[in-house]
Amino acid sequence: MLTPLETIKKKRAEAISRIIGKGYLSTKRVYVGMATCEIAAGSKGVMEVFSQAIKKGLADVYLSQKGCAGRCNLEPTVEVIEEGKIPVKYCKVTPQMAVDIIERHLKKGEIIKEWIIK
Amino acid sequence: MPSRYVITLCDGPSCMHKKSKEIEMVIKSELEKNGLLEKTRVMLSGCLGMCKKGPVMIVNPGYTIYGGITEKDIPEIIQKHLLKKQPVARLVIDEDHLYNRFFRIFGDVDFFRKQMRITLRNCGIMDPESIEDYLALRGYEALGKVLTEMTPQQVIAEVKKSGLRGRGGAGFPTGLKWEITAKAEGKEKFVICNADEGDPGAFMDRSAIEGDPHTVIEGMIIGGYAVGSSRGIVYIRAEYPLAVKRLEKAIVDARQEGFLGKNILGSNFSFDIEIRLGAGAFVCGEETALIHSIEGSRGMPRPRPPFPSVSGLFGNPTLINNVETWANIPVIILDGADWFSSIGTEKSKGTKVFALAGKIKNTGLVEVPMGTTLREIIYEIGGGIPNNKKIKAIQTGGPSGGCLSEEYLDTKIDYESLAQAGSIMGSGGMIIIDEDSCMVNIAKFFLEFTQNESCGKCTPCREGTKRMLEILTRITEGKGEEGDIEKLQRLGNMIKKSSLCGLGQSAPNPVLSTIKNFRVEYEEHIKNRKCPAKVCQSLFNYSIIDKCVGCGACKKICPTQAISGQAKAKHAIDQSKCIKCGLCFKTCKFNAIIKS
Repeated sequence: MLTPLETIKKKRAEAISRIIGKGYLSTKRVYVGMATCEIAAGSKGVMEVFSQAIKKGLADVYLSQKGCAGRCNLEPTVEVIEEGKIPVKYCKVTPQMAVDIIERHLKKGEIIKEWIIK
Repeated sequence: MPSRYVITLCDGPSCMHKKSKEIEMVIKSELEKNGLLEKTRVMLSGCLGMCKKGPVMIVNPGYTIYGGITEKDIPEIIQKHLLKKQPVARLVIDEDHLYNRFFRIFGDVDFFRKQMRITLRNCGIMDPESIEDYLALRGYEALGKVLTEMTPQQVIAEVKKSGLRGRGGAGFPTGLKWEITAKAEGKEKFVICNADEGDPGAFMDRSAIEGDPHTVIEGMIIGGYAVGSSRGIVYIRAEYPLAVKRLEKAIVDARQEGFLGKNILGSNFSFDIEIRLGAGAFVCGEETALIHSIEGSRGMPRPRPPFPSVSGLFGNPTLINNVETWANIPVIILDGADWFSSIGTEKSKGTKVFALAGKIKNTGLVEVPMGTTLREIIYEIGGGIPNNKKIKAIQTGGPSGGCLSEEYLDTKIDYESLAQAGSIMGSGGMIIIDEDSCMVNIAKFFLEFTQNESCGKCTPCREGTKRMLEILTRITEGKGEEGDIEKLQRLGNMIKKSSLCGLGQSAPNPVLSTIKNFRVEYEEHIKNRKCPAKVCQSLFNYSIIDKCVGCGACKKICPTQAISGQAKAKHAIDQSKCIKCGLCFKTCKFNAIIKS
């Protein structure tokens, strides 16, 4: 029989493979802040734009929500993480900006400099 | 232009001792040699917590952590890592600590560089509604370790050794509390998480639960194992619906995975957690009132001893800790008490989360090692005061805390030093006040809050705060009398000494501390009938000066038609009609309306 610690390690391995199964290894990972404060600042609409885009065929992108990282005055925040590159953090994102982030950054790889957190 | 490379060098005391400053100079000259200086951002961070492997630096892209570096290694790192994109394998440290995960992803932004995230380590990193994400970040491993390798006594000894103290504000040693509860006898024992966060301006617990609910749950299960309890309760206010929803989901998921319920992970330890919603009374953050509320009675405190550790919920031994305290537990178990106690000051170990609010550029949630100065938090993390205003005061600890003046900026944060300065650590609210605020008015605001929230049990708190509020109101209306300051002090000290619980004992703090640090402002209000910051409405008038171009904007917006004047000519305010709403003052684009 497995010890509790061995059980946890097994569960972790299973969890990681489930996350990978959801597309974690995509080239780009997008995180949208979804704590109360971010939602109040309008992040639900932003999330909707990203999830619709994926439903409509935006490929090679892993989308996830995240909690509050503490940047209250810059919310809603969206992070685009690409392995081996410096993470890009967009602030005060509106649904319209989310459309641009998809078109310019996610599809063409262009970082929209004026919107990132300095 | 965002930099292509970011090098973050640890500038904690230990790394600095090992020449991090010299290394920084070598990095800069090497970057220049290779023509990379413009494309690279070199930053110094606060302690990264890897002192034994120091000096430490993180190179991005790649999130690579290098340890034990010397000046001689720099050319190689820059040549290979930055130019050829091949990390220098022999210097890479590949440690799987819980606390630095976030730093590699966020550490290139000023706001995060002096921070050290232990309790908030997963907030803003993972999906809070996914137990898979938490498991992948070594979630529940501390629980596995405890159930496999440690006896309850060893767990308590580890928490004791870590030096962790209660993060709810009072700072009682957590390990000791656990030990007392473990030794107490009763037919059943309870573990409670106090998530009744009530300070105006504080949102640490909400964010922690919304961002990473499993950490709190894991901490509570470990606590239950240590003291021999099988029932946990999270007391959280109904005003936090999203936090409640995420916590509920986390509990269901944890139960499904076998982390909660009977025979956890095949061991013979059983534990489960339920949620109790509070109606949002401030006094229910006090542990005995909280227990009354769970029992179904009116939330009112009772005298201690007996402390809840001995006789708490339904007369049983009860272990109550705050959200942030619980969130520290998995880290202490996995990264070790020795490591944990190396962070912080002599008497206060680890980190503290603060909710930074008020007149500051970067408002938000910050977690810093104990011993960080107020100046570092306000200027290096918070970015300073907006609009080139001067800082006037720092309010810590919410309505139970006090206002510190500018001269205390270099105070190092820990329980003792803040108390010595006349404020408290509290649960972590930090409000920055600039020169535009009136300290008497601020004291009045906080007292209004506590006076409203007083449960009414003790006369000094119920009646005393009311009388104090009347005096403060009088002062702000320009009806202050000689001797009012002394009266406030006398009443305040009496309430502090004769109230039963923390609410009453600390309610006068905002008033007493502002009298101590800003007495001149009180005197101005009372003797000269003047509000130096021009906030108290009865003590100033709005008037229009010669700068007025007669645009008519103020006339249009005035709700009482108090402003008159011809187009393109100077306007005037009829003081008998003016209600001092301030709309004209905000509307005028020519700074032609002044407070006098």
